[in-house]
Amino acid sequence: MFDIKTDTRKMPIEHHFNPYEMNGGTIVGVAGEDFAVIASDTRLSEGYSILSRENPHLYHVQPHTVMGSVGFHGDSLTFNKTLQIRLRMYEYENNKKCSTPAVAQLISTMLYSRRFFPYYVNTIVAGINNEGQGCIYSYDPVGSYEREVYRAGGSSSALIQPLLDSQLGLKNQGSFELSRSYTVKMSRENVVALVKDVFTAAAERDIYTGDAVFINIITKDGVFTEHFKLRRD
Amino acid sequence: MQHPKQQTTNPMVTGTSVIGIQFDGGVLIAADLLGSYGSMAQMRQLPRVFKVNEKTVIGASGDYSDYQFILEKIMQKVNQDYCLNDGYVYKPKQLYSWCTRVMYNRRSNFDPLWNRVVIAGLEDNQPFLGSVDLLGNAYEAPCIATGYGNYLAVPIMREFLEKNNNKITEAQARDVVDRCMKLLYYRDGRAYDKYSIAVVTRVGARVEECKELQTNWQVASQVASYD
Amino acid sequence: MSIMSYNGGTVVAMAGKECVAIASDKRFGIQYSTVSMDYPKVFEMGPHLFLGLAGLATDVQTVSQRLKFRLNLYELQENRHIKPKTFSSMVSNLLYERRFGPYFIEPIIAGLDPKTHEPFISVMDLIGQPCISTDFAVIGTANEQLYGMCETLWQPNLEPNDLFETISQALMNAFDRDAYSGWGAVVYIIEKDKVTVKELKTRMD
Repeated sequence: MFDIKTDTRKMPIEHHFNPYEMNGGTIVGVAGEDFAVIASDTRLSEGYSILSRENPHLYHVQPHTVMGSVGFHGDSLTFNKTLQIRLRMYEYENNKKCSTPAVAQLISTMLYSRRFFPYYVNTIVAGINNEGQGCIYSYDPVGSYEREVYRAGGSSSALIQPLLDSQLGLKNQGSFELSRSYTVKMSRENVVALVKDVFTAAAERDIYTGDAVFINIITKDGVFTEHFKLRRD
Repeated sequence: MQHPKQQTTNPMVTGTSVIGIQFDGGVLIAADLLGSYGSMAQMRQLPRVFKVNEKTVIGASGDYSDYQFILEKIMQKVNQDYCLNDGYVYKPKQLYSWCTRVMYNRRSNFDPLWNRVVIAGLEDNQPFLGSVDLLGNAYEAPCIATGYGNYLAVPIMREFLEKNNNKITEAQARDVVDRCMKLLYYRDGRAYDKYSIAVVTRVGARVEECKELQTNWQVASQVASYD
Repeated sequence: MSIMSYNGGTVVAMAGKECVAIASDKRFGIQYSTVSMDYPKVFEMGPHLFLGLAGLATDVQTVSQRLKFRLNLYELQENRHIKPKTFSSMVSNLLYERRFGPYFIEPIIAGLDPKTHEPFISVMDLIGQPCISTDFAVIGTANEQLYGMCETLWQPNLEPNDLFETISQALMNAFDRDAYSGWGAVVYIIEKDKVTVKELKTRMD
């Protein structure tokens, strides 16, 4: 499917062309008991210039599943386009919509299919599973993935992840018990408020994050969206 | 000994910035008429904005021969459309999507088309403005500029749009584009004072006669070490 | 491999109400292997003056000792305690002397003015470009994580106890997401009439 033209392999080729670029962007996903929240900033950057202030990095791929994808924007777009086609094929072949865990597995397989010329993207999938629980999956660029409770990805991941550890994972606060739950106890409103806070903090220090946050709240009734302004410098 | 295969890894004849802006009921793009060969101003009547059909226009900066290649492919598709004679024409979003695929596939084969393409038009009576670059990066925005235009023209257009709540008239759009082209001619060493505009409104798409910028070089004599 | 992250380690300082805090992790490692778990990077330079150094461990020791030496000379000559701002200039000067062959460290200076007891925090790059801040300063391998933590947890005019809690939580959660730092921490709370040192037990993995 992703066959690279074979004639280019017969002869050595001189490369000074870099096929990758870092276009910035940050995503955050949180799994609640009966909801999932996934949010991204809306900035699209190229070097030090801002290409767009209103380009969310979220893709609504199924009725109860949203994928966030940041890194190289060209790969994000292509990956999303291919995924939409694969999901449509799934629907035709199985006569049903693809569940969130199945989307998650499919994304892993698709990322791995480009193991030796990777999609340069950081991916988080959020949705509701067949039990009605919120769930979050996070990936590395070549498809290694894991179900998680919360995850930050993209240019501000290092700034945000420890904050989520502290506020959602309640780390370093005296409880040494390992949590076996795949969801947070926090309410929808509080999760959304926290997401706004962590993006405000990230926009303060990361030039590739800013302009606005686009928040998707996924419940069994569908996806609700919210828009929150960030600093634009 | 076999030499490594060489590809278009650097552009030959190039065009500089293309700028585009949406207005109420339409969209327009502009580019100057210069084809540069390195630092030499080689072709001085080189059209860079084209009409694709009654709904769509296109422009590009970067390598001109790669741009001609893209245009040729597009015109083939347009002709096929015409021959079918079913009244159907490519809409801007379809052309834009097609361009993202072509550009992305070429970069994935390490043989990129060295351009940044701007596509503008009317889609269901809504103005559309999008751009695709040589890596397959693509985005839509109310105003777009390539090359130096991204540094010099975009801030002016964005400020103007923001001040007017993204609702400007065609005349206002033309005025701001003219100001931007003038600024680019003053500041971009590869820019030229003749430019053409392609505009799409409900009436249809058209590429206009070339315009010449009214510039003023009186201050030049005041600049130290200019003479 | 970057020289700045060869040994790992991280330092943070925060300003509060009539007090400042400075804290560091205690790891000393060589790339991914941890060699020692009792290697604090904060040095006492006076009754109200502390210096934190993150970067190449050999340079951390050299710079802290050379600075102590210059500080002693200054205080013998002037017969008074140095102001944090003056000390900051001294650090900057020492680092810039090695402009083209720098010490691979970044310093944080935290203290109270010996006369006015005004809080002071400054931070520098490895060649001594100073930045005096009124809120917090972070350096080391967990600096990004610390920026995220401090940017949300810090607030103006924290009392000493709250400042301790804030800086500890910021540091611990930050270095738990950094392989190069952690393995215990030490926190100094500097007030007008006392300095409190607290050792934090943290996760050791």
